[in-house]
Amino acid sequence: MAARYDRAITVFSPDGHLFQVEYAQEAVKKGSTAVGIRGKDIVVLGVEKKSVAKLQEERTVRKICTLDDHVCMAFAGLTADARIVVNRARVECQSHRLTVEDPVTVEYITRHIATLKQRYTQSNGRRPFGISALIVGFDCDGTPRLYQTDPSGTYHAWKANAIGRSAKTVREFLEKNYTDEAIATNNESIKLAIKALLEVVQSGGKNIELAVIRRNQPLKLLESKEIETLVTEIEKEKEDEAEKKKQKKST
Amino acid sequence: MATFFGEVLSVYSRAVEEDDDDLDDENEDEQIHREIEEKREVHIAWCPEVAQSLEDSGSNKLQCSDLIIAVGTNAAGFLSAYVLNTESWDAVGHVSLWNERSRGSSRQSIALLPGEPACLFYRHRDNPAVLVCQSTCYIAEDQLFQWTEKVFGCLQKRGLSVMVLSDSPVAEYKTPDYLYGSAVPFLRSLKSSASESQALCPALEQPNILTGLPAAVLSHCQVHQIPAVLYQCYTDVISPDSITMETYKPALLCLSKLVKLEPCLSADVLRKFAIITEAQSNLYT
Repeated sequence: MAARYDRAITVFSPDGHLFQVEYAQEAVKKGSTAVGIRGKDIVVLGVEKKSVAKLQEERTVRKICTLDDHVCMAFAGLTADARIVVNRARVECQSHRLTVEDPVTVEYITRHIATLKQRYTQSNGRRPFGISALIVGFDCDGTPRLYQTDPSGTYHAWKANAIGRSAKTVREFLEKNYTDEAIATNNESIKLAIKALLEVVQSGGKNIELAVIRRNQPLKLLESKEIETLVTEIEKEKEDEAEKKKQKKST
Repeated sequence: MATFFGEVLSVYSRAVEEDDDDLDDENEDEQIHREIEEKREVHIAWCPEVAQSLEDSGSNKLQCSDLIIAVGTNAAGFLSAYVLNTESWDAVGHVSLWNERSRGSSRQSIALLPGEPACLFYRHRDNPAVLVCQSTCYIAEDQLFQWTEKVFGCLQKRGLSVMVLSDSPVAEYKTPDYLYGSAVPFLRSLKSSASESQALCPALEQPNILTGLPAAVLSHCQVHQIPAVLYQCYTDVISPDSITMETYKPALLCLSKLVKLEPCLSADVLRKFAIITEAQSNLYT
């Protein structure tokens, strides 16, 4: 049944589906996982690093991009589509600064990206963007924000979310483990992001890339040594917990 | 007949059958048909030892107890990685054919380049009644019947049992439920009525159908009452992929009864058969 209504983007099926948009969401699932956490004084973006070809320059394969000094985003899906969206968002950020003399709020730039995506689901001869984005940053008043957009052009604010290949597993983990204690300090928030990614990433810390924005500070990409240290800390905490459980059982 | 302009046309009378001109046209058509048929003929080339055994046996048939056919790059990759990786298999033959999508190779040798679409036969050294066929080339609808007749024509029907492994894109799988990403890739089975073996996965549900070589082989087995079981793997990856190949693992249970298999498979071997363009695929990040 889907076959007759899924070729043109601008055609609804009898039961109200826009199949091209739904298929675009499948394209997002082909990208590697990205997770975003909104802490109290920090926002964290963690991504699963893609394996890079031997002769490829690693630093040009990036899932996390800055949109402005105080806003950055991670995407999952078609690389080329992401590049276009990021470029348009960057231009809009500067245009906003020049016209209004204020940096963009995170909500504004998310709305801009989402409107762009929605326009491509409603015009003839174009296909939707095949990416979902996690946009994080701080507003002028210091509030941390995390937004997620998807190919249909919807956007929502989240406390923590994941997109990409194993997003469902990571989101379930976050639903269980995102508590006020878990984000009490900046370090804890970063560790929560790493723990969430370790659920789905193969071979541990080597394949994780992490970026943080602290209030009034620019984006910082964590070095692999720092990530390894945190991963070791997390593993030790897990072992200690397992030991405690064993002792409890024996007594 | 004189026309208005004065030219004279010879008009054919419909009362009389004019055979001469028709024959000429027919001859030409026939010739073209014959040429196309010859071009599209399916040829099986066996290695000298097997050709000799075929001649020696009175009925021009090989003794074969088990025929395993892999159709598609993932099925063929699975067999290469899990079964054909030991030294005890000999390449004994290949099928060469021509159609618009399979230009065929003019090389007569059995050793074809890895990765090139082909249809190859392997035989186990210690148990020569076990034959494996890897088919990665496209066989057109009009050639399928010829393929099955010629291949099965070389094998003893009595005591023969067939297993087919075949790839299919999950987009062709029709189901009323939504398939979550985690369910793919998955296996479905289909058996001929002569088959008594327990299928290792759910049967293929209606209205899904098989097409192509797997369907031709299964139909042949059904008609000739040969026990046959088919495992169809639905996957969302276009190219050979190690996860898809691992989905065929339940079939190892049956295969291990026939031949000695490598007990543990190193991930490197699998990766060798999985597509090398994985690292080069920057389409999705």
